[in-house]
Parts: sequence; C-alpha cells; structure tokens
Amino acid sequence: MLKLHNLSKVYRTDEVETAALNSVNIEIESGEFVAIMGPSGCGKSTLLNIIGMLDSPSSGDYIFMGENVAPYGEAKLSNIRKQHIGFIFQSFNLIDELSVEENIELALLYHNIPASERRERVAHVMDKVGIAHRAKHMPSQLSGGQQQRVAVARAVVGDQAMILADEPTGNLDSAHGQEVMEMLQSLNEEGTTIVMVTHSPAHADYARRTINLFDGHVVTENLRAAV
Amino acid sequence: MFQNYINVALRNLFKNKLYSAINIIGLAVGLAACIMIMLFVRDELSYDRFWSKADNIYRLNTTFNPPGREPFVTVMAQGPTKHALKTYFPEEVEHVTRFNSMRVVMQKEQDVFSEILMWTDPETVDIFDFDVVAGDLRRTLNDNASLAINETFARKYFGEEDAIGQTLTLSVYSLKRDYRIGAVYKDLPHNTVLEFQGMAMIDEKDFVDQEWEFTQWFSVNNYVYFTLKPGVSVETINQRLDGFTNQFIEIPDAALGGQSSDYIHYSTQPITDIQLDPAGARDGEMKATGDMATVITFSAIAGLILVIACINFMNLATAKSTQRAREVALRKVLGAKRRQLVTQFLGESVLIALIGLVFGVVLVEVMLPSFGGFVDKELTFNYLDPLTISILLGLVAIVGVLGGVYPALILSGFRPAYVLKANKSSESTGSARLRNVLVVMQFAISIALIVSTGVVYGQKVYATNMDPGFNKENLIVVRNTGRSGAIDKRDAFKEQVARLPGVKSVAFSSDAPASGNESNNTVRVPSEEGERSVLIGSHRIDYEFFDTYEIPMLAGRAYSREYALDVSPNGFAAEEGALLQSNLIVNEGAVRRFGFASPQDAIGKIVKMGVGNGRQAEFTIIGVIPDTKFQSVREVMRPEMYFLAPYGFNNLNVRYEGNPTEVVGRIEALWKSMITEVPFAYDYVDDVMAEEFVREENQSILLAIFAGLAVVIACLGLYGLASFTAERRTKEIGIRKVMGASVFDIVRLLLWQFSKPVLLANLIAWPIAIWGMLTWLENFPYRIEAWVLLPLCLVAGVIALTIAWATVGGNAARVARSNPIDALRYE
Repeated sequence: MLKLHNLSKVYRTDEVETAALNSVNIEIESGEFVAIMGPSGCGKSTLLNIIGMLDSPSSGDYIFMGENVAPYGEAKLSNIRKQHIGFIFQSFNLIDELSVEENIELALLYHNIPASERRERVAHVMDKVGIAHRAKHMPSQLSGGQQQRVAVARAVVGDQAMILADEPTGNLDSAHGQEVMEMLQSLNEEGTTIVMVTHSPAHADYARRTINLFDGHVVTENLRAAV
Repeated sequence: MFQNYINVALRNLFKNKLYSAINIIGLAVGLAACIMIMLFVRDELSYDRFWSKADNIYRLNTTFNPPGREPFVTVMAQGPTKHALKTYFPEEVEHVTRFNSMRVVMQKEQDVFSEILMWTDPETVDIFDFDVVAGDLRRTLNDNASLAINETFARKYFGEEDAIGQTLTLSVYSLKRDYRIGAVYKDLPHNTVLEFQGMAMIDEKDFVDQEWEFTQWFSVNNYVYFTLKPGVSVETINQRLDGFTNQFIEIPDAALGGQSSDYIHYSTQPITDIQLDPAGARDGEMKATGDMATVITFSAIAGLILVIACINFMNLATAKSTQRAREVALRKVLGAKRRQLVTQFLGESVLIALIGLVFGVVLVEVMLPSFGGFVDKELTFNYLDPLTISILLGLVAIVGVLGGVYPALILSGFRPAYVLKANKSSESTGSARLRNVLVVMQFAISIALIVSTGVVYGQKVYATNMDPGFNKENLIVVRNTGRSGAIDKRDAFKEQVARLPGVKSVAFSSDAPASGNESNNTVRVPSEEGERSVLIGSHRIDYEFFDTYEIPMLAGRAYSREYALDVSPNGFAAEEGALLQSNLIVNEGAVRRFGFASPQDAIGKIVKMGVGNGRQAEFTIIGVIPDTKFQSVREVMRPEMYFLAPYGFNNLNVRYEGNPTEVVGRIEALWKSMITEVPFAYDYVDDVMAEEFVREENQSILLAIFAGLAVVIACLGLYGLASFTAERRTKEIGIRKVMGASVFDIVRLLLWQFSKPVLLANLIAWPIAIWGMLTWLENFPYRIEAWVLLPLCLVAGVIALTIAWATVGGNAARVARSNPIDALRYE
C-alpha cells in the first residue's frame, strides 16, 4: 500500500529548526491495521498528516500505491487523497451547520458523483454505522459516540482504501470508544487499510502491528500474531 | 471603573487593528461626507437672510398663460408695475424698486470695455442694506449721472486710486453720458440672489425710445422688489393681484377674448425663498440658483453614506462578538449587571465614532475646497460655531448609539456559564441573519447610487450630443453687432467677414442658440370657425441664415433676393390703410399649431399678424423647416416663425472651416479695424450649448464620488466581515479540504456566500433606482429612453459584484490555500 523511505520532516521557525521526523522507514501493506504510539510530541500526528498527504515531507520518499508522491504539489495530492484516503479525527470535525447526511455526503461532493448515487451511498453507509435514524439531525444534537460514527461513515462512504484515524477514541468514554474500535476492526476485516494514532494500549491491541515513535524515530515495531 | 472601560476599549481598538481601521475609516468618510453636505445645505438655506428687512422683502413674478401653450414663468415684471403697485396698494406697499441689467459700452479715457451694469430705482437703498465704504449711496442713486460700484469693480478700473469722483462714459442704446462714481460698496456676499457690480439710477426719460425697458406693459425686463408697511400681510396683496392685472393691462388683441388676468398672472415671492424655489423659471435670475430637490437629494445621500458606515459598525461588532464573549462572561461572573455592560459597549462605540469624527474633520479640511468648487460655493468650516459643534456631537452620539446599541444588547446578553464552558459564543442565527440583511441594504444603496450616476451622466451626454437640427460644429456667433457704434458698419463688416479665408458662410440673426430669449407673436389663422389666434415664437434672420446653420427645407423654398415680398413689412414705415403682404418661413411645430395637415399642405396658406404701429399684414407661408432646437435643448421645442427682417440683428453667425483660432483671429482683427466703440465678443455655438449642462455634469461627478464612497465603505465592511467569517469557518474549510475540496472549490464557496447578499441587493436597488431616475428624467423634454436604464442596472450590478469579489476574493484565496491541519489539529 505505502512505503516511507528515509523520510524526514523539519519545522523551521525564524530561530529554531525542529526535526519532527528523522529518517523514518515504514512499509504498510494493503489490508493492514497499524497503530502508531508514542508520547506527546514524538511526531505521531506529523507522520499521520504526511501519510494522509495533508503535509509534505522535507526529504525522503513516500511511495503510495507504487507512486512516489513526495514531490507532488497540493492539487495532485488532493486528488489522490480524496480517492483513496478517509480521515477520522479525535474531535470528530463535523461541520456544525450541516446535518448528519450532509456531513457524510461532503466526502462525495468533490468526486463528481451524481446526486442520486450520492444519496444511495450515504443511506447505505448510515445503515452500516447505525446512524440512519439520525440522518436529519445536526451534529450538536448528537452524543460524542454518535458524532464519531458519523465521522467514520464519512471516512468510508467514498470506498476509500485506507483510513487514517487520529486518536479516534480520545474524546469518547470507554463504551463508545470500544464501539468505534469495533467498527474500525470490522472495516479492516472487509479489506480497508487502517492507520491509527492512539494513546491507549488497549485500543492499540486492535491493530495487528504497533509502531512506536520517539523523538521522530521509529523505536520498535511489534507484530502481533493474528488473533 | 471608567478607567477600566477606557483601558479595555483602547486595548481592543489596538488589538483588532483591521476591525478598528475599517470602522474608523468608514465613519470618517461617512461623517466627512455628512459634514460637507451639511455645510452646503446650511449655505443654501442661508440665502438672503442677512438683509435687515429679510422677512419683509418680496419679489413680483409674472406668469404668462398663452392660449395653447405651457405657462411661461418669468422672475421679472414690467417696468410700469413699480408705479402701479404704489397706486393700487397705497396702504400696503411701502417701497418698490426695479433692477434692470444692461450691457453697456464703457469708456475710460481712451479704453473701451463691455460691462453689465444694473439700472435701479433710488428706493433700493430703503429696501436693501449695502455696506458703503466710500461716498453716499442714497445721493448716487438719486442722480442720473452718478454710478455706485462695488469694490471689485473699483479695484478693476481704478486700482489703488480713490474711485469716488472718477468718471466713466457709458453708452447704452442712444444714451451716452459721463457718469461720476458716487459710491463704492462692499461686494455682496455670495449668499444672496442679487448680483451686480454697479448701479445707476433709472431715469425713464433716458429710455423713451426703448419703451420696452421701463414704460410699456408688454415686456418683462425688470426684477421688481417691494416691502410692505408694518402689519400688512402679503396675503392681502396676493388676493388682489388679479384685480391689479385687470386694472392696468389691456390685452390688445380683441380676438383672444376674456380678461387680462386670464393671460397674465402675478405672484409674490419672499426673497428668502428664491434661492431654493426659482419660481419654476430656470433662467432669468441674476445668477444661477439652487433648488430644493438638490438639497434634499444630497442630504439623503449623506444620510445613506452614514448609514452604510453605521452598518459596518454593527456588523463587525456583532461578528467579532465571539472574541468578546469571554470578557462579558467574566464580567458577569464578577457581578456586572447587564445595564452596566450595555453602557460599556455603547461607550466604546461612541468612542470609536468620536475618533472617526476627528479623522472626518481632517478629511473635510482636505476636501472642502474641491467640494466647494463642484457646488460653486466658498464653503468654510467654522469650529467655533455653536450650531456646528452641537450638530457634530449630535452626529457622533447618533452614530455611536445607532451602531452600538444592537451589538451591546447581543454581547451583554451572553449567558456566562454557557460561554465559559463551551468556550465559544452563543451567537444566534438571528444576528447572523440581521448581518446579511444589513449587507444587502448597504449594497442596495451603493448599487442605486451607481445607477443614478450612470443615468445623470448618460442624460448629460445624450443631451449635449443630441442633433439640434442644425450643424452646431464649426459655427461662431459674433455678438453685439446691433449695438450703436457697430450697427452702422455691420453690413460692411458682414461682407468683409464673408471674404475672409476659412469662412464659408455668414448670416445675421436676432437670436443665437440657447440664448434663453423669448419673443412671441399672436398669429391669426383661418379655421372652420372663422379665425383662430395662436401664439408663435419668432426670430428675425437674413437671407443666408438657413445656409449658414445648414438647416434644410422640408417643403417650399428658402428666402431669396429674387422675391421682394419675402421681406417682412415694417408697420412704422407703412402708409395707413395699405394692404401689407409678405412671405414667411415657419418650422414644423408651427405647422402643427396652425392646424395644417403637413408641411406641404402649409405652403401657400395665409396667416395674419400685427407688424407694429397697429398695422396688420398677411403672410403667405413659402417654406417649412424641420423642428430645430434653436432655443434651449432643456425645453420643449416650440413652434417658431423666421421673419426676413433686419431688426435686432445682434448676432453674426459665421460658418468656418479649418483652424478656429485663426479664423477668430482674422474676424477679431477685422472687427477692431472697423469698429472701435464696441468690444469684440464671440462664442462657439457648441460650447454655448454644452454650458447648459454644466450643472448636470457637476451633479454626475458629485454623484459618482458619493457612489464611489458608498461602495468603498460597503466593501470595507464586507472585507472585515469576510475575514471574520473566514476565521469562523476555518474548521469547516479545513474539513472540506480534507474531504478533497480544491482551493477553487473553497474560494467559490466563500465568494458565493458574499455574492448572495449583493445579488439580492440588486433586486432591491433596481426598481427603486429605476423609479427614482425615471422621475428625475421627466425634467427633460429630450431624454434618454427608459430601456437604457436596464443595461445601466445590469452594469451597476456587475460592478458591485466584481468589487465585492475583489474585496472578498483575496482573503478567500488566502484562507483556501492555508493548510487544513492547522485548523483541525487544535480545537
């Protein structure tokens, strides 16, 4: 699916140069469920943003589905991103002014998909995450767990091959957290590649592989035996 | 506490530099526009209030009601009205005086000048107060060989010398006399409708041969002013004016029938009303007047600009309320009452308005001279005037409260627990909707002003480029050919001019285009019920006139030397009882008024009219010309007759080719070699015609400036609003980008958000602007067609939309290009 080779990211301000990632080498196969762990400031989110093509590396290669996307500009990245990658955030990031359906539909809006097909796919994915009865509601009328389910629905409605989740359970209580993790697991079982940043070792256990980051380096990679 | 408020207010101003700048600039411009227009309006309203008898000075206006024609309003009256008023109203009228301006040829030692001076009655001194700096004005006006002049005139001709006792030789008509300067008075202030540089006493004996000036009832050449005796109401005069008319005026033409008062109507007008209500007559005042419509329009525009600035204030204040929410919540937690918060926020907005005023006053100081130039006034801004100060402070209070009250109520209404917990404002959809409504209003005003500018300018261009029915290019009018000193040599002069290189054709005429003169004859036309009388305008021309003006004949022929009968008969030269016959050329309007079917049909028809000295003549129509806008293009085309008669030939019309200055130079040299007693004066016909629209031109420039200001202020507000909205929408934009929206998608989204109010504003502005401008256009008999307003509206809409896009676009693009993670990572 993707391969990071000697990838570094350096943030520059006027006086300080901070290396957020330092010669990272990671390979993720299609269909994998990978958890990224590490203390605050270790570069987890930077790594996830680069994988998600929301940010570009300072040096090194990023081979995504056989293409080196490291030198690509924003427009090209945006194109690849919207076709293949879905996002789930800790704070859900739903648009307050749009209803549940409209929030989910947003992921299809920029894909030139006819309206009727969009409606069909949104309805299907709402059923799948069990939020259909809330279709017309606004995000502010939903609980956190429900909001995150909407976010998951939005991440997969475009048939994305890979989902990047940035602490998807961080704002949820344990019951709702578990619900979301189970949803991700079942998506993974259907073949979706999942890369997840998390602080919770319990939730990391859902993943088949855990990558530990520290100060911009990959420290360990633990492969768990298949369950 | 107060100190704390001031601190918070000032720190907020400095912290939100964009917000403060937009508010202060907008208010400064709005207030500056308001102040300047206020000065203009105050000046317009101050006219003639400084006379000590201001409340008791009236003018006699005359309205003619010619049968079958629009009433003809003049601001003058006949010379004999002076004595008649005293006779008819002995108990009511106190003093009456006349002003009659005449162009004189003035000789000072060897030099000859042409000047316009005022002939007036001695009573002028009893009615008006002049600031006499030297000599004795009363004695001067009681002596028919003395002259009173103003300081400018004295300086012009006598420099630093003492003018009193000096002599000027004046000639007008057959009068030629040495006048001694008997008094010098201070120039009249600009805010009076009176204007003259010098006064001489009316001695009716001096003008016995020119009875139309002072002694007969059929010419209106005098401004007649009078005062009333103490305790007399002008109403008692008004009620008896028709009786006055019937007693003194006898309609000579029995065929018209009815009473004199059916045809001539007098009215009185307080002198203080004249400036803003020129009695319905555009021309004829001593100098250009204003009008109430302009005063009202400009006041309204100033108000609207201020409203736009206030709206910015309200919008930005509510939009940024998010940022103030925590402060409000904390103050409430610490015990602030709602009323205290309202006071605090109102105080802040008044403070901003005050700062706006300071910048506004600076702007006024910078702009006032050029604004004054446009409205043709010397306006000064007097800071010490208590009225000005109270108006300014009143404006600040109104603006501050108007702009501040709504945000103050919104902000002070936040519920602290909610704000502190949610860390966001509880901004209601209501205030967002109100903001949209206000933006729509701003743009509606701006668009309506743009449309108005377009229409006024369009009308000016249309009117000045309109085909007047003759060729107005390459045409010069040489003036004063009928004056004594020139009149004897004018035929020889014409012959010589015709031979000058560059001159194609030369003709005499009594009138020149746009002169504003009116002379009319009563014509009797044969009809089924016997004879009908109609009033037709008349000009006197010579053989070459139609050729020179390049006016074609619609039917029949032009005047020709081959036909002796073409020349109009002179009643004074005719024997008693002789049958006088002649030929006549008229325009299409006259054909219609006579009731003939067509120009061809009119040829050969006979009409009758008086030719002076009580003699009547029969005129056979031999030619018809098209309707030519020989009078002012501001007025409806009138029916006209063109007599071939060599009287009052005061204008020599010269059609030339090649370099105009060379041609004029040759004509001038020739004039000076032949005529020494009359100065050379000339005009280009197209210039004279364009001058009639200087007022519209200035109006359209002013409107354009105000429309521009309105748009700029509205856009400032839009810019501020866009940046606040973009800030508020960063998260949404981030999400959309993550979902694959391109920069273009985002820019489009933001542009559309701000296009909606502008488009809606168009829908509101168009009907209002169209209605208003169609009403305005009714002032002009010849006007751009109504459909032209539609494309103008479209253009205005596109302009407003483009400017709005340009304003919002840069900001939108910056936001759209920003990295979405920045917006999403931290909540």
